[in-house]
Amino acid sequence: MNKTWIVTSETYLRQAKSWSFLMLILMPFLFIGLTFGITYVATPSKDKSDIAVISQDASLRQSFLKTSGVQTTSKYQTVNAAQDATKKSDINGYIVLKTKNNRQVSTVFHGPNEIASGDQAKIQRFLSHLQTQLNVQTAKLTTKQTQALAVQPSFKQQLQKKTASDKAAKTISFYILVFFVYLILTTYSSITAQEIAAEKGTKIMEVIFSSTTPRKYFNGKVYGVLLMIVTQLLVYLLGGALIVQLAQHSRLTANMWSQYAPIIGKVLHNLLSINMIFALAAVLLYTVVSAFCGALVTRVEDASKASQPVIYLNLLTFAMAMAFQGSPTSGIVTVFSYIPFFSSYLMPLRLINGTATMGAAVLSLIILLATVVGSMWYIGKIYGGLMLQTDELGFWGNLKRGLSLK
Amino acid sequence: MLSVAHISKHFGSLHALNDVSFDVHDGEIMGLIGQNGAGKSTTFHSILNFLKFDGAITWNGQPLSADDYNQIGYLPEERSLMSKLTITQQIVYLARLKNQPANVIKPKINDWMQRFAVKGQPTDKINKLSKGNQQKVQLICTLIHEPQLIILDEPFSGLDPVNADLLKQAIVAAKQRGAAIIFSSHDMSNVEEICDTLVMLRNGEVVLNGTVDGVRDQFGRTRLFLTTDWSAEQLSTLAGVDSVTAIGPNHYRLKLTNADAGPAIFDAVTKGHYIQEFSQQPPTLDEIFRTEAGGVDHE
Repeated sequence: MNKTWIVTSETYLRQAKSWSFLMLILMPFLFIGLTFGITYVATPSKDKSDIAVISQDASLRQSFLKTSGVQTTSKYQTVNAAQDATKKSDINGYIVLKTKNNRQVSTVFHGPNEIASGDQAKIQRFLSHLQTQLNVQTAKLTTKQTQALAVQPSFKQQLQKKTASDKAAKTISFYILVFFVYLILTTYSSITAQEIAAEKGTKIMEVIFSSTTPRKYFNGKVYGVLLMIVTQLLVYLLGGALIVQLAQHSRLTANMWSQYAPIIGKVLHNLLSINMIFALAAVLLYTVVSAFCGALVTRVEDASKASQPVIYLNLLTFAMAMAFQGSPTSGIVTVFSYIPFFSSYLMPLRLINGTATMGAAVLSLIILLATVVGSMWYIGKIYGGLMLQTDELGFWGNLKRGLSLK
Repeated sequence: MLSVAHISKHFGSLHALNDVSFDVHDGEIMGLIGQNGAGKSTTFHSILNFLKFDGAITWNGQPLSADDYNQIGYLPEERSLMSKLTITQQIVYLARLKNQPANVIKPKINDWMQRFAVKGQPTDKINKLSKGNQQKVQLICTLIHEPQLIILDEPFSGLDPVNADLLKQAIVAAKQRGAAIIFSSHDMSNVEEICDTLVMLRNGEVVLNGTVDGVRDQFGRTRLFLTTDWSAEQLSTLAGVDSVTAIGPNHYRLKLTNADAGPAIFDAVTKGHYIQEFSQQPPTLDEIFRTEAGGVDHE
């Protein structure tokens, strides 16, 4: 069997079976589940948010119950019963529907609190429709006149490209992407550097390098970490799809979902695009550099320090992305969006804001991927020397000695 | 056969190895001896291609290829395993890196654990084992794939006499199945006991190379063990006697200036009569090590 694959599978399985990785993957879902659960428990039950409808006119009452769109209950048919239910907080209140002399519709809402604005609008719409019908009847209009009066004014919105919802979608996409990339880079840089530094400290590397080449081993380690990241992304994608399904159908979130569906769609489109490839390539580059940093440490005790240079670099690029998020057309952003390490944050920023063409993105991605491949090749070449150099010579001394061994 | 031909390695101004050459034949055990820093580990690292070096190292007449490394069993000087793995996981992982399928190695693990008297179960984690048992597991990792070239850097270090014997048995068994074996050691009794040949390094250079008996004989039979009623003072007056050391009642060890002095001393001490012991021997490896490895006569 290919030795690179043996190292890849060992690295992947060892980490994937660990509690820390399981928690890393499940934490967002636990958090969302907890939030959802608390909201569910804290939200009043279905009956409590209902409104009772009372009317002498049975057909009018039925019409309201069926067509108003307000969350109603047909359980209470008299004012007294509805009053009692309102006092006991079983319902939100009740409305009394009347028609005066069959000419004017009148409705009164009785309840402890003001009726929700959305419900007010629905009630108003129902009443307007009903009143129009009564007016037509009262005026004894012919069908032709009725049709003439039924003509409604036309109102259309001719929106520019940069609408408010577009802007909100861009902002949300940017923040999700930047924080996601930052967290994933920090996490995996740390895991990689510490694992490699710990291995170096235990001298197991001599045994391993007597069996396979340092390049194969190094590539195997990087692929193993990459598999972990892909696993995490797949779990997030599947989990995300499940949450979307739940959100669309749950009574807690269905309204909100339908209201924000266009923005959510745009955010998902921004995330599940070339930006995701930038994120993956960035993780690969940071993993390779983290492995290099881990290989420069000489003592197990220093394993936790190994990832610091990469963490700081990530922090710098993250801070830069945050600083320039309001000015995606800046010349600095344009230049740095082609420079590996920075491009993973800044090119998606430009793409989300529509200030970069797909051609520019592909060029930046090619530079990033070439850097990944180049770093893997070079670090793979010097990896053996770095890992077998165990004298305490400081950063540059370790590097110099490591380079001289092989 | 492993052939090391004229290898040199420099670390800056330090000459770690200088024109080192030796051969290790199949079915042969070679002891690589020398003081700390003499170049033993650097020699091993050169064979394993951990280092750039000048010279040539070949296995069966060819430079070592990637496939040849599957035939190598290497035990480094500092023991280390992956502490979070179980014994089985560790052995199988390292064996798989030697191109050994897991289903071939797994059935052998219990047998090897018994052979080395490892206290623990195959499912035990490495970090739960005692240091001695971890060392034995590492030896199993080195030998379980039945390598043709075995390189052991200080394998007896830290082992008690019982476990050292178990290791010797394993090394001899590997020799009997035709493996070429090199091990370094500071304990000359182990070298003397199981090695066919030895190479001594001093400051990166080969100072001794040959069979164990051949190397000892190079120094002449200048050690004389004698049981006699003569006193030490009387013995020291004999021609060719350099020094006399009493090692028991009427029991002496004489250091001769020249092995040829032996017959005359025999005649003088026995005067034609029976004596219990008169044994003229070359110096022990330990004595040779003391005099040759550091380049200083410690006696």
